[in-house]
Amino acid sequence: MSAEENPAAEPAPVIDVQGDGRWMSQHNRFVQECKDAEPDVLFVGDSMVQLMQQYEVWRELFSPLHALNFGVGGDTTCNVLWRLQNGELDNIRPRVVVLWVGTNNHEHTADQVAGGILAIVQLLLSRLPKCKIIVLGLLPRGEFPNPLREKNAAVNNLLRTSLPQLGPVQLIDVGGGFVHSDGTISSRDMFDFLHLTASAYRTISTSLHELLLQLLEETPQERRASLV
Amino acid sequence: MKTWLCCCGAHWTSSGVMSEDANPAATPSPCQDIQGDGRWMSLHNRFVSDSKGKEPDVLFVGDSLVQLLHEFEVWRKLFSPLHALNFGVGGDATQHVLWRLVNGELDHISPKVVVLWVGTNNHGHTPEQICGGIMAIINVIHQKLPHAHTLVLGLLPRGKSPNPLRERNASVNALVQAEVASLSHVSFLDMDPGFILSDGSIAHQDMYDYLHLTPQAYQKVCQPLHERIKSLLDKHAP
Repeated sequence: MSAEENPAAEPAPVIDVQGDGRWMSQHNRFVQECKDAEPDVLFVGDSMVQLMQQYEVWRELFSPLHALNFGVGGDTTCNVLWRLQNGELDNIRPRVVVLWVGTNNHEHTADQVAGGILAIVQLLLSRLPKCKIIVLGLLPRGEFPNPLREKNAAVNNLLRTSLPQLGPVQLIDVGGGFVHSDGTISSRDMFDFLHLTASAYRTISTSLHELLLQLLEETPQERRASLV
Repeated sequence: MKTWLCCCGAHWTSSGVMSEDANPAATPSPCQDIQGDGRWMSLHNRFVSDSKGKEPDVLFVGDSLVQLLHEFEVWRKLFSPLHALNFGVGGDATQHVLWRLVNGELDHISPKVVVLWVGTNNHGHTPEQICGGIMAIINVIHQKLPHAHTLVLGLLPRGKSPNPLRERNASVNALVQAEVASLSHVSFLDMDPGFILSDGSIAHQDMYDYLHLTPQAYQKVCQPLHERIKSLLDKHAP
């Protein structure tokens, strides 16, 4: 699906309707961070990414990997695409990018959302040729079974096979275990049935952290060259 | 029906009911489930059932600034020991909190102190309307919990640089502070420890998205809040 056919793959900034310009302020800050920092890992996405940085687990597991966090609450694939095209990939060469976005694409179908994520991955691969990409699967949401859970699962299914075809890209589904046998999600895991609690972040971070260590270790030659 | 016009622009009938067409910020309204997963109603229902099982001394109610507080260490350290419940919902404006309180969240509990923090999400409303919304909430709390003290928290500045919402929030605070001055069952607490720096900016170390507080900022604002709540609880003791 090309960008002309898929609205979820059309880059678009967030329009400031509230009046305090916060989205653009965050974007500008990230562009500035690209000038100052040399991250090995870049996290980019929506509030699932942004909130992670406010919990202890970020300081413990991801800061030590020289990770930057470019998450913005509310972002869709369109918004992330726009940010990455407009400065948030300039001057940095992360070795791994962790992408987590799609749950806010309310106007789009599962096919379109998957296409939007693919478009972001294609952009990352073209701008960062030696980079490896981890795409986190969309989590189930809502206290009870509902159409958004099915939609998010459908997005994950579409990505599962199509992502690896693009290059060193893999889908990691960290959502297993959140839906109990009675179909409910607990507020101990998602305090508002969407955003993760500190303990839920800890649960998903363990495997993500291990995978990151693996991927960062996989290119010892590049690492030696960069230290010279 | 005769109505009285309050200085905040709210119309009151003789039975103390807000005239519905006067102020949208003071008209109880549930959040519509546009997204499709019913999360707002799930949260409301959970709060109602929580209120059946628990006996909090302190109830926090409001928007995401209340809700997120529960997720950080500061809640466990400062507010759990006070037997506090948290009924914060992200995105809520005054009319949403009003609806929740009128529809069950205050039934079955008798907290001594209710901490109210809401208003920053009332987009499109004037400061007078937002103040009217906050006063309507205070009124409902007083009707349902005649012995409780309501502590209204001032709205924080927001946005990286000076902008109209900062002015709006400051105006709301001034209006509310004036309104509650004469009420013995309500007090106002300014929650801003000086977030705005000398160049007019707010640091992302305090508000990671120039609206929501980081854990370190919550530490800064919660110390005085904790002290104030404790002194209100002490006064309330028989």
